[in-house]
Amino acid sequence: MNALLLSAVLGVVMMFSGIWLKSKSAIRNVAIVGMALLLVVNILEMSGMIFFRIDTKGMIVFDRFALLFDSIAFLSTLLYLFLSAQDIEKVGINYADYFALIFFILCGITLTSSFKSLLILFLGVEIISIPLYILTGSDKRNLKSNEASLKYFLLGSFSTGLMLMGIALIYGDKGSFDTNSINLITETPSALIVAGMLLLLFSMAFKVSAAPFHFWAPDVYDGAPTVFTSFMATIVKAAVFIAFIRLFEEAFGNLQNKWQLLMAIITVATLFIGNITAVFQQSVKRMLAYSSIAQAGFMMLSVYAMNAEAKEGLLLYSAAYSFATIGIFAVLIKMKDYTFDGFNGFAKHQPLLAATTTIFLLSLAGIPLTAGFLAKFYMLKAALGTGKYLWLVIFAVIMAAVSVYYYFRVIQAMYFKEGDPPVLQITPVFKWTLVILAALVILLGIFPNLLLTWYYF
Amino acid sequence: MIHLLQTGLNSADSGSFLPVAVQFIIATGLVAFLMFVTHMLGPKRKTTDKLQNFSSGIETHGDARQPMAIKYFLTAILFVLFDVEVIFFYPYAVNFKVLGWNGFWAVMLFVGFFLCGFIYILKKGALKWEE
Repeated sequence: MNALLLSAVLGVVMMFSGIWLKSKSAIRNVAIVGMALLLVVNILEMSGMIFFRIDTKGMIVFDRFALLFDSIAFLSTLLYLFLSAQDIEKVGINYADYFALIFFILCGITLTSSFKSLLILFLGVEIISIPLYILTGSDKRNLKSNEASLKYFLLGSFSTGLMLMGIALIYGDKGSFDTNSINLITETPSALIVAGMLLLLFSMAFKVSAAPFHFWAPDVYDGAPTVFTSFMATIVKAAVFIAFIRLFEEAFGNLQNKWQLLMAIITVATLFIGNITAVFQQSVKRMLAYSSIAQAGFMMLSVYAMNAEAKEGLLLYSAAYSFATIGIFAVLIKMKDYTFDGFNGFAKHQPLLAATTTIFLLSLAGIPLTAGFLAKFYMLKAALGTGKYLWLVIFAVIMAAVSVYYYFRVIQAMYFKEGDPPVLQITPVFKWTLVILAALVILLGIFPNLLLTWYYF
Repeated sequence: MIHLLQTGLNSADSGSFLPVAVQFIIATGLVAFLMFVTHMLGPKRKTTDKLQNFSSGIETHGDARQPMAIKYFLTAILFVLFDVEVIFFYPYAVNFKVLGWNGFWAVMLFVGFFLCGFIYILKKGALKWEE
């Protein structure tokens, strides 16, 4: 509750800081201080200090799962701001407004991670989506950015329509938006419930860009300004996954044997399309867009399995994936050439950046001693724990092996090829934050309990 | 997916949807039939006057797709925004006494955010007409 209110207020504060503060560094500092405050306030709530006690009539419940994910999201955003806040300057003239939109998105994220009512889910998803449409199109004079924004807006509002339709059908049957009372389903659910559940499944799959609802993702991630792609593909995607798993556990948990096969098919399709298409990309940015689809496939495993390991694993996965991808995007923003060849000889000229990027890429590929490995391990363990569909796990392992190919292409270009890539100005803060991120990735890869103990205490 | 829907349908009385299906078929069929009949049977006399766009009897001139100042759109969209927000006061006015002080503070919060938005657009110069 602390973070929910504070993030909304901070959004308004950022709106006005654009009017009253003239210098860009002042605006940036306000945003970073606000973000740190948000993180602190959320951690305080985890240890029992709740500043506002508001009766939400059971529509929002801040349990451990929600609070821990919020902390992960806020920490990732804080690191993201340290790395890329300066690059947001180059996007357009409304510098403070971009930060305001980011804070509003975080407000939506706190809602989607803690909803107990379908109405709050809808509200949260919309509060996340609408600022994203704007951020995608924020590079106003770039045609690709405009196209991405329009595409995202049209398809996104269509899928939101599907979600509303699903909620309406479920309300028609149950007469309630409360997830607990929806879950009181007997052996044979009515046609309304099943149709509503499928519509919700489709719209959530769209929001997390799971195949076959992924078609918007590459174009949008490629067209949006790279700083915002970084935010969109990591923190927002993880937040929607948290909503996804919450929705299907709390509202449709009793129907698990009915939707599990569907979820398995979506998982396989997402893994296959994401990984295989990423292999053929020439631009690193577009490769990362497909890689985020592929990683979504792994996160889908947790929604499919839906047991204790799955929830733990999803938290670890969202941290591992967010840290690594934010790091890679931050380096990518500093490049002038986004193709694989643009990274040729990067290690010789920027040894520190190349080393940290390598750690991030290894983590995404799932190499041991990095957070990505353990995150994938948890996912596969959860999927095995269901005792069904062994082929799903085998397929996921094969696809993880395929992903090594395109992640290592970047490493190969950085270390084993000659070249002199032009790089933008790099500040000491940027370097130190990258080192901290890389350290976090390795630390979580060795001691995942540093994060997961928070889930229980 | 289909077997899912079927399991659902078995419990409900699926036969009761038959009139709805018949209604759908008749509705689409009637539209298709009338379109077909008017195009086939009606006489076709095309003159330049008839082919012109109908705009309330006034002669058309120029292209509708010429660029317009963004100010018009901005003012219009802001009007819609604030107009809709004002509508929220009606239900509050009806339930003023029932909601008590809690309701009052909730509405004050709403008005506070609302004012923030208003000051924001003023300061951003969205309503400056001469520029």
